[in-house]
Amino acid sequence: MNKEKIASRTLVIFVVLLLGMVAVPSATSLPTGVAGVKDSGCNCHGAVVSDSVVPILEGLPETYNYSEVYTLTIGFTGGPADPSNINQGGFNLWVSDGEITPSDASVQSWNPNEVSHTDAGNDQTMWTVDWIAPANDRNVEFILHANSVNGNAGSSEGGTSGDEWNRLSIQVASPTVILEQANPYTVLTTLIIVSFVLLLMVLTFIFYQNNPESFDWENFAPWVAGWLTTTDHKRVGTLYFLAGFFFLGIGGIMAILIRIQLMEPGNDFLTQDQYNQFFTLHGTTMIFLAAMPLINGAANWMVPLQIGAPDLAFPRLNAMSFWLQPVGALLIFTGVFTGTGADTGWTGYAPYIVSETAHSGTTMWVAGQILLVASSTLTGINFLTTIAVMRAEGMGWMHMPLFTWSILIANLMLFLSIPAFGVGLIQVYLDRVIGTAFYDAASGGDPLLWSHLFWYFGHPEVYVVIVPAFGIISEVIATSARRSVFGYRSMVYAMAGIGVVSFIVYGHHMFTSGMDPTLRFVTMLTTMLVAVPTGIKIFNWLMTMNGGSLVYRTHTLWALGFLVTFTLGGISGMFFPSMAMDLHFHESYFVVAHFHYVLVGGTVFGLFCGVYYWFPKMTGKMLDERLGVLHFLTAFITYNGVFWPMHRLGVWGMARRHHTYFISVDEVRGVDGEVITEAVIGALPPEAAGWNMFITVSAVLFFFSNFLLIINVIISVIRGKDAPADPWGGWSFEWMTESPPPTPSFGRFEDGEWHDLPVLRDANEHIANEPGKLAEWFNRLMVADKEEGGN
Amino acid sequence: MAVTSPLFNVLWDEYILWSLLVGVITFGWLYHHSFAYRSNDGEKADNVDDLTVGVFPRHNDNLKLEVAWTVLPFLLIIYLTYISWAPLDHVWSAPGSEARGDECLEGQSSNNIFYEDTGFVNSECYHVIELTGQQWFWSFECNPTVNSEFSQRDYNLSADLCAVSSQMVEGYGMQPVINLKAGETYLLVMESEDVTHAPWFLQLSTKEDVLQNQKTTMWLPMTEVGDSLILCTEYCGDAHSVMAAVVSVHS
Repeated sequence: MNKEKIASRTLVIFVVLLLGMVAVPSATSLPTGVAGVKDSGCNCHGAVVSDSVVPILEGLPETYNYSEVYTLTIGFTGGPADPSNINQGGFNLWVSDGEITPSDASVQSWNPNEVSHTDAGNDQTMWTVDWIAPANDRNVEFILHANSVNGNAGSSEGGTSGDEWNRLSIQVASPTVILEQANPYTVLTTLIIVSFVLLLMVLTFIFYQNNPESFDWENFAPWVAGWLTTTDHKRVGTLYFLAGFFFLGIGGIMAILIRIQLMEPGNDFLTQDQYNQFFTLHGTTMIFLAAMPLINGAANWMVPLQIGAPDLAFPRLNAMSFWLQPVGALLIFTGVFTGTGADTGWTGYAPYIVSETAHSGTTMWVAGQILLVASSTLTGINFLTTIAVMRAEGMGWMHMPLFTWSILIANLMLFLSIPAFGVGLIQVYLDRVIGTAFYDAASGGDPLLWSHLFWYFGHPEVYVVIVPAFGIISEVIATSARRSVFGYRSMVYAMAGIGVVSFIVYGHHMFTSGMDPTLRFVTMLTTMLVAVPTGIKIFNWLMTMNGGSLVYRTHTLWALGFLVTFTLGGISGMFFPSMAMDLHFHESYFVVAHFHYVLVGGTVFGLFCGVYYWFPKMTGKMLDERLGVLHFLTAFITYNGVFWPMHRLGVWGMARRHHTYFISVDEVRGVDGEVITEAVIGALPPEAAGWNMFITVSAVLFFFSNFLLIINVIISVIRGKDAPADPWGGWSFEWMTESPPPTPSFGRFEDGEWHDLPVLRDANEHIANEPGKLAEWFNRLMVADKEEGGN
Repeated sequence: MAVTSPLFNVLWDEYILWSLLVGVITFGWLYHHSFAYRSNDGEKADNVDDLTVGVFPRHNDNLKLEVAWTVLPFLLIIYLTYISWAPLDHVWSAPGSEARGDECLEGQSSNNIFYEDTGFVNSECYHVIELTGQQWFWSFECNPTVNSEFSQRDYNLSADLCAVSSQMVEGYGMQPVINLKAGETYLLVMESEDVTHAPWFLQLSTKEDVLQNQKTTMWLPMTEVGDSLILCTEYCGDAHSVMAAVVSVHS
């Protein structure tokens, strides 16, 4: 069997497996769902649904009149109810709009939307209530649960045995025909499917563009199979970029849905439940499925090229690291399309995450995260090994390009911190699935343990996603300014310093937890310290421009934009370690503003910068500079419009992870002293409503501005100019190869050995000092190249 | 009513001042260099560092400058830590400390003294009250179990000092109200029945997690009269965003 056939079959098996996984019904542990009484039935009388019970709801019109009061008769027939029983039954009635009020003592009101029977009403099978129809146009839904009981409450067999219930749902139409409000889950699913189809269309088009004559299945199948089974670092890097940008779009869609919900006070576009799932998936998607793959894409592409290696040390492991990600993504998203996705926040705090109130999709979310932990661990092994043993001759540790240094440090941090997260996830998984009690405080578990494990990983993790951006910015500013980066050595030490400090600052996420105050104080000091290495880096970048010739390209603009936004994010970060202020800021929009300034203004801007910088190298085609500048300007302005006002909202008292907010209103009195507007206590002053609308509009614009990059890429693939080997004048090895680079990226493999690998020369005279003492010690840990017969 | 407390405002003003200074230096520098060294063809200056493909370029550094911008930010953060220290000590002062005194005897008042320059509030003694968090509501208790770890009190607080009621709050529905007295300081002892919650006392700019099987505490030094909200700020599930309460402070 030839290679193409094997590849084709592998592809078919893969597709079948994929379809199988999608077809398997998503996991729900309760047949009735877990959303509340209106969905689960009468929760006090077991879960026996029986058709013999027939709920009755009478007195409803086909269409209602505005604000009219209707008297409804609620009842049921059938089931074990019998007039001779002590009790006969009960009910729960929920209405989506209008207001239900009890008309006698046999009925009680839980809230304007929900009533049920009282103890006194337990002996009846018929009740009456009043419903005040809404004053506006709504399609109203009534959900009635009727419970037929045999009256053995308090007896020895247990009070609820033999009781039966059933559900009735009735729609009452609005006086005028109105359009149904779109279900946000449907919107999200449709948009994801549309994005995926568009992605497939673009990929098919690229295949067509490659060679219009051979556009048929015989050529297409091996082409696709080749991509799916590739182990070439450049192709895996491209796959990472595709996955990363796809999920950046999905996370963005969820951000827009969240912003639509928050655009005005008391909005009801999303329910609390939907909102909780959307912000959980927004955070998880952006960090683990967008930022990490995009960084891995850049690292896969550039690290071997920058150190003069033919490929990564373990190419197959690299492919496996990638393919764990889409599978993990499927698990993470399982549940959201049926309304039971993870609703824990990306931090998944215990004990909520192991409680019964958390959705069943949380189990899948945890399982997916475990796969991503495996993926990151394998990636860490791969990059650490590659950078340690496969550098070109003449390239000491202190000769590596700064992007490679940043990947080394990021992977070192990730590799040392992610086991803690993995352990925590496995414990949560066991707690949820087989009933262990690691986090159940009632059984002696420790809820704070999760916070410790999570943030021991979580804080290095946020540096893992920002440090590679530092690497990109160092490369871009130096190349654009036609200078060598200022203070190369202090840049390396600063990054290493951030790497070390990252492990001892995590407690600042827990300043308001029940953690020991001494530990809180220690992490306050270390958190303050982070400003020092970060400051060194910013000043070094600024100094790099000094005395150079700064050429403005799109990537230069992104790098300068990064300096602005990242500095702002860094400054706002200094407010948190001051504990007395943090007690106000914790879980407020000030925090949301801060971490979006460093994660979007830092990581995403850094990666956009890297994409514009290395795109000609990766594809051999130039991007359009005018579109690039337009992308930068629109994105930079709208981005600041989204996140800058959030600082003020946070100070005012807007809490994060709240699906809505209310504003304070002062009492307004007319000339005769009569109350025109009632005073309302809300968390926010009136001007907060306007700012939230401003943020939402900016967010939509920011979302669409990024399409300019995609358009730019497509135009470039169709009719972009061919790129030279070194379009910007960089010095590192990647600019030595052709654009796009050949495979293997450097050298040729003959007779069991590599030949013609590049050799780095050094323009400085102190080469005798390399490797230094530390590097010599580190090198001794490595297996020597020659004795093992090639690297 | 002001949303943030004076203690917060004092620190905020100081931090904003230093942020502006750092911002002016950084952005001024960035602004100057991005225009002063601008060049269309990349030929404004000679290739000073010998940039050649495949050759590690000449080092471009200056030890004095690098040490300067290591030491100066370090001094600044030492100063910022120093000014953050006293407020930290104040918000977490232990019972029996100079700022808080011991638990009040029957009829004794905290006689809060407010220091405008620091935002500190010192009290002669304090009253212990309890808060329980539960999915998804708060419940206050003015007269907690006596002889607990935090209270040895053998009398009940008068309704003037502490009373619990409830009130319709626009958007949040029926919510509990804790009625406290201005000029008095309360030690709030908190515990959760289920998952972790955290009450954010907007008026006092403070919050602390409420955990299951573990008691946490928070000082409520009341000075200003008025009503304000408590929001839950540790995500606790479905109705997290409407888990609220009202603090009503009377004179």
